[in-house]
This record gives sequence, C-alpha cells and structure tokens, in this order.
Amino acid sequence: MIKNLGLAGKLILFILTSTTLVFAAAFGYNHLVARRIVLKGVRETTMNLTRATAYRIESVLRSVEQMPRNLAATLEEHPYTRADILRDVKDVAKNNPNIFGSAIAFEPYAFEPQQRYFAPYAYQKGNDIALAYLNVEPYHYFYMDWYQVPRELGHAVWSEPYYDEGGGDIMMATFSVPFYRNQNGKRTLTGIVTADVALNWLQEIIAATKVYTSGYAFLISANGVIITHPYQKFVMRESIFSIAEARGDKNLREIGRRMIYGDEDFVPITDFVSGEKAWLSYAPLATSGWSLAVVVPEKELFADVNTLSVKVVLIGAIGFLGLFIIIAFISRRITKPIASLAATTTEIARGNLDVELPRVTDNDEVGRLTRSFANMRTALKEYIADLAATTAAKERIESELKIARSIQLNFLPKQFPPFPDKTSFEIFATLESAKEVGGDLYDFFLLDDAHLLFTVGDVSGKGVPAALFMAVTKTLMKGMAEPGMPPSRLLELVNQELARDNDAMMFVTLFCGILDLRTGVLAYANAGHNPPVIIRRQQPPQWLEMKPGFVLGGMEDTEYETASLTLLPGDAMLVYTDGVTEAKDMADELYSDDRLLATARDFATLGCEAQVQKVLASVKAFAGEAPQADDITILSLHYLGGE
Amino acid sequence: MEITANKQGDITILTVNGKMDASNATEFEAKVKEEMAAGANRFVVDLSQLAYISSAGLRSMLFLAKSVKTSSGAAVLCGLNGVVQEVFKISGFSALFTVCDDRQQAIQSC
Repeated sequence: MIKNLGLAGKLILFILTSTTLVFAAAFGYNHLVARRIVLKGVRETTMNLTRATAYRIESVLRSVEQMPRNLAATLEEHPYTRADILRDVKDVAKNNPNIFGSAIAFEPYAFEPQQRYFAPYAYQKGNDIALAYLNVEPYHYFYMDWYQVPRELGHAVWSEPYYDEGGGDIMMATFSVPFYRNQNGKRTLTGIVTADVALNWLQEIIAATKVYTSGYAFLISANGVIITHPYQKFVMRESIFSIAEARGDKNLREIGRRMIYGDEDFVPITDFVSGEKAWLSYAPLATSGWSLAVVVPEKELFADVNTLSVKVVLIGAIGFLGLFIIIAFISRRITKPIASLAATTTEIARGNLDVELPRVTDNDEVGRLTRSFANMRTALKEYIADLAATTAAKERIESELKIARSIQLNFLPKQFPPFPDKTSFEIFATLESAKEVGGDLYDFFLLDDAHLLFTVGDVSGKGVPAALFMAVTKTLMKGMAEPGMPPSRLLELVNQELARDNDAMMFVTLFCGILDLRTGVLAYANAGHNPPVIIRRQQPPQWLEMKPGFVLGGMEDTEYETASLTLLPGDAMLVYTDGVTEAKDMADELYSDDRLLATARDFATLGCEAQVQKVLASVKAFAGEAPQADDITILSLHYLGGE
Repeated sequence: MEITANKQGDITILTVNGKMDASNATEFEAKVKEEMAAGANRFVVDLSQLAYISSAGLRSMLFLAKSVKTSSGAAVLCGLNGVVQEVFKISGFSALFTVCDDRQQAIQSC
C-alpha cells in the first residue's frame, strides 16, 4: 500500500509517524514520572496521616490503661479491706468517661480464705455507678479470656473487641492487668484488674479520617479481625485473612500478616470493597497490637496527573493536526513539479515525444532533472528518427536482397528434365540456400546439338557482393561459350573479365565440363574447385583426376588446362560445392570428402534426381540441428549414350 | 586466430595460428598493410599452426600476393599441412606463391 503512495503521501506518512512516536515516548515518560512524583508525595502524607491517627487512638487507649494499672500497683503495695476494694473499683468506672466498667477479680481464696470467688464489678448505669458481683452462677469469671490470658502471660493485655450483650450492644474491649502480692516471701498472682472500654469513639475517630474524596481508614485487631470499617458488614464478622481467602488475594493476605506483625508500609492493593486499584498505608498500634490502615483509590490519587495527561494529549493532537497541514503543504509544494514531471514522462514513455515539459525556473534537483529530461527527449527524438530511417533503409535493402536472391535462383535452370528430347544423358541439380545470400551457382546448356556444357561454382564470401559476382560469372560463362571452344579457353576468357579491375579481390572456384553426347568424351577444366566424383558403372566412385588451376577472378592472365576422359554409357558424375564437404554437425565436425565418397557409393545405382536428393538428405541428416553456414549445390550427370 | 610478426633481416615472418575465416580474415589483411606501410615487402608466412582456411582467408592471401607483386616484393609460404594444404592445392593458390616445407627453406627462397 505504501508503495502506491505518492512522494507527498510518503513524506507525510513517515514524518508524522516518527513525530507521533517521539511524542508518545516523551508523553509516556512524562506521565510515568509525574505518577511517581505524585505517588511519593501521597506516600508521605498518607503515612503521616496513618501514623497520626494511630497515635490519637493510642493516646486514648493509654489514658484508659492508666487507671487499672495504677489500681493494680496500689493493690500490690498496700493492704486493703472490702470497702477499699469496692471504692477503688467504683472510682475507676467513674473517673474516666471512656471506661464503661471495671472489675477486680481475685484468685480463688485470695481475698478471704473462706471465700472461693470474689470479683466486684462497677459499671455505668444511667448517670450513676452500679455495683455487681461476677461470681454469680452461671458467669464463671475464672475461665473467661479476660481473666485467663493475662493470668497465663503474666502481663497486661487488651482483649479482642467484642459486643457486650448486657451493655446495650456496643463494641467493647477489655484491658486486663494482673497484680501480685508477697506470700511467704514469694511473689504470687493475686488477681486481675480490668477496664471495659466502649469503642464507639474509636469508630468516630476513624470515620473522621478522610483521604481525597472516597479514601477511608479501617482498623484490625491483633488477630486480623476488622474492628472498624466503613462497610459495616465486615465489622467483627470478617478478618483481613477471611477476606483475602474469599477473594483469592495472596497480596492482601501477606499485607494482613505484616500488619499484625506490627510493620508499617505503603503498598498497592485491589480494594476489597470496590474491586478497584488502590494504595494502602498501614501503621501499628503498639499497646493493643492492632493495626490501622488507610486506603486511597488510585484513580483519585492520579486524578490530577490524568487530567494533565489528557490535556497534553489534546495539545499533541492539535499539534499533530497543525504539523500535518504544514507538512502536507510543504511536501505538495516540493513534489508538485516532480508529479507533473512524472505525468509528462509517462506521456513520453507512451511515445508522445512532443508533449510539453513543465516549465522550471529553479535550479534545484527537480529543475536539473527536468532539463535533463528535455535533453533526453531531444536526443531520443533524433535517435528514433535515425532509427526509423535506418530501419527503413535496412528493410528496403533486405527486401531488395530477397528479390536479388530470388532473381539469382531464377537464373539457374530449374526445369527437369531440361531437354526432354535428348535421351543420351540425364542431368539434375539443386541449390540449397544458406540463410545469408551465398554465392553458389550451377548451370548447363547445349552448345550445339551434340555438346552439353555444365558448370558448378562457388564465389568467395557471402552476401550481395557474392550474389552479384555469381550473376556476373554465370552471365559471362553463358555469353562467352562457343561451340568447339575447349573449357580451359572459356575459363581463361571469363577470368580475364572477372580479374580486370577486381579491387574487391573476389574470386570464384568453378568446375566446367563439356560432354560430347555422341562419343561420351568429357573435356573439363577446373578453376580451384573441389574435384567432382566420378561413378563408373560397376566400379567404386572415385575423385576425378585434375590438374590444379587457380580460382577465377584472382589474377589476370591465369592459364588453365583442359583434361579429358571418355564416359561409357551408365557412367555418372557428381559435381558439388564445399557446402557439402564442409557442412558441420553440432560437434563442429566436417562432413568431409570421405563421407561424400561413401554416400556416393551407397547411391551409385540411383537415377540423377534420386541420387542428388539422397546425398542432400545425407548431408542434412549429418548436420542435424547445426545451422547451414554455406550454400549447398549438388549436380548429377548420367551419360546414357546412344546418340 | 592469432597473427605474430617477426623480423629476420628485411624479411617479415608472419605466423598464423588457429582458424582463418570470414570473421577474422581482414585481420591478416590489416597486418600485411601495416607491415607494408612500415616498408616491408618480403614476407614469409608460416601456416604450420593454421588448422583451417575459408574462402575469405584465401582472399586475404590473394591480397598479400597482389600486394607483393605490385611492390616487386616476394611472399613465400611454409608449413602447409592437412586441410589447409588441400585447400591451397585445390584452389590453385599453391601456384600463386612459392611454397616451402619449413621456415628455414622459406627464408632462403625469399
């Protein structure tokens, strides 16, 4: 898809993409750091708030502890009577508004040897202080936690909070202090002083602890039981561990463990009421072993940061839009000339070389490119004009060459049998053209009633010069031949004509024979041509014996010799050009003289035409796919006698 | 095809290797022209390394023969063998030149 975008589109795409990436990175970093800074500040304030609240609760609890502690100390040091005990226990309940009631519970027989249990209990009733005894059945204080736990531990303890059924369904906790006396020189536990504390004030303090909009605080006991929580259903019914278990929240369980251990920290949690992300700070209440927690919802914590981020993104988006417009404008401006140049060059590529190139005044790259295109177009126009002219000329020459070739071939006798009324001989010849115009020739004609002249030749080189030279040679041969003229004389005359002013130094190899049809005497002369094959009846074919003679047209005043032999009826002769013996196969091997002789032997008894066709087929089969490099000419003459 | 030219006295010895056909025969002609332009007119052509010669090759030999004839020089061939010897014989080109068996004889007859 990007490939199909224009230059302007690519510029816009790449620049805006990279700008967006840079902006996103900067924005992301800024957002993260801002959050971290905010978190650091929140940690400080929340921890401080938590500690301060814990301290406030602590101070109340400590003031509560003071009265029973003092009373326990007094009981250890001074002798007391029943009246002292009753007065003291009433004082504790009366003097501290936070203390609902107080008891002094003695060990069995510790107050009086004859009384097993003694535990007076003073408590607020209306505006007065009432007095009761806890040793009334079935309330058996001796086995109560508030009595047993400090008794066993040997120090003051706060009980787990509980609902006091008798005291108007308010949440309470009991502070119990053991006291000892000397008996027989031994420090012996004598009883427990208690103070029952109503915890409604605790709920008020904690409920007043507000953080952000919906942040809140809660308190857990030393066992993790929730003492106060804005969500009332949890109070005294759930512990932090039961909630963690129900929600499968391992993190919360670990936090609970650390809270009751007495640690303090500021950690992320999932709020177990709303289920949203939140931060929780906690601090211990040392006296009671309780722990106070403050929860802040994360979205409120980061509300400011998020608002800022939204604004930054908005500014970024507006900037992005502005940048888009500017880049679009610039890239359009830069690429417009390129686009119009591209349109123009497409037109040029289509072949319209006359199309107007865009006007440029700048000397920048586009300007230079446009000017180069203008030059290229001019050069291309000239080149095409030249090419058209050359092609036209070439086509003309080629068509003329074809015509020349066909004229040249039409030159050669092609009527077979050529002399139907002559029975003393048979003759057949063929010329197989190579692709290029070659220079082979053959000819035969009657000099008079009794003499047949036949000739086969091969002009050096190829193409039009060879074709012309061949035509001239053939015309000269026919024109200069006269009855009674020996072949050597004819060659000398023709050579003289061809060699004169032969600046191109072309030449033709040529065999010329004149057969006396009455006697079978063959007179022949050779101008540098391949020796013909003579096939005498009942004998193996052999090369015709010849004196060497120089090629026609090579040198003026060359002399030739006439040789002669007598053909008997049934004898034959095969004249050919080197297109036969020098035909090549795919392996670049020559057909060769030996192969020709063997082929001639194979087809010795055939008639003229069949013989020629068989030899030609043999040559073609040998060459196979190899291209024919030269003209192939084969002429066969059979002497039959009887004229 | 490869042509090398050596001098022995005022005799130019041309050695031709490979095949001489229509595609390269003009190189031989050009070499002869070049040597003659430099004043040479007596040539020994060693064809012992020549494997094949076409009619175009013969034409460049004809050029050599005519050129030395015009300048009253001489051209002697040596080392003809195989197909090349056959072609020279059939075409009658052997008669156009003095032909010797080896280079030493050729130099002496030049």
